[in-house]
Amino acid sequence: MSPEALERELNQLHPAAFGWALACCLGDRAAAEDALQASYLKILDGRARFDGRASFRTWLFSVVRYTAAGQRRRAVLRRWLPLALLGVTPDGRPDAATELVRADGTRRLTAALETLPGRQREVLHLVFYQDLTIAEAAEVAGVSVGTARTHYERGKAALRKLLKEEPE
Amino acid sequence: MTERDDHDLGDRFHALRRDEAAAAPAFRATLAAARARPVTTSRRPALGFAVAGIIVASVAVAVLAIRHRLPNDLATVRLKTPTDFLLALPNEDLLRTVPQLGRVTITLDRRTP
Repeated sequence: MSPEALERELNQLHPAAFGWALACCLGDRAAAEDALQASYLKILDGRARFDGRASFRTWLFSVVRYTAAGQRRRAVLRRWLPLALLGVTPDGRPDAATELVRADGTRRLTAALETLPGRQREVLHLVFYQDLTIAEAAEVAGVSVGTARTHYERGKAALRKLLKEEPE
Repeated sequence: MTERDDHDLGDRFHALRRDEAAAAPAFRATLAAARARPVTTSRRPALGFAVAGIIVASVAVAVLAIRHRLPNDLATVRLKTPTDFLLALPNEDLLRTVPQLGRVTITLDRRTP
């Protein structure tokens, strides 16, 4: 794929990729932007190559997920090492700017999602937010379709229960 | 892939998607920021190696310092504990020496009742 074609594809998927990056970074906007920039850089300088085995969208989401996970690991490491004193480390919570733009209904949804296990949250986001199939969600999350279906069913039930418990 | 009765959840997620899409940074700005990022791939492993080197060197220095304090032949060292005096017997030299005829080696300790 030529660099121009890559840019076109990235541009088209940019809002969805940002939403996915936010989900991977638990609503931390700064961390999400950082993960997205790092992912785009990996793609444009050829460190991450699209080989056509999956759709471009699921591949891009995998790159974003992997990059965000790497950043989280480094953030944890920085928190434990004395180097943490040199810089601010994100605490993995939604920042004020992200919270501000969210309407009350979506705020309740994100609050409920935060309490779910990571895999369930990922699969639910990919299926409901990104309109992927469970098979595609499994590919992005790096799990089997059966496992993704289990996470989907359990996550859905848990989310419904949490949203019902919340006052309207 | 959502089922018919999942529309309630789908609607909530789509509302979240609309909110977040509206607040997403511009693609060109993100791309420009990505290209302006310093390439840190070669520096990070170097930093890791440096930290690992410092740790290994610290451990080596600590081990050497401890060894330096210890005597070379541990067999010649008599371990002394604070309760050693409880094991001291009166005239315990008798146990380590060969008795000789015509020679009195027992000394009376006047403090002993």
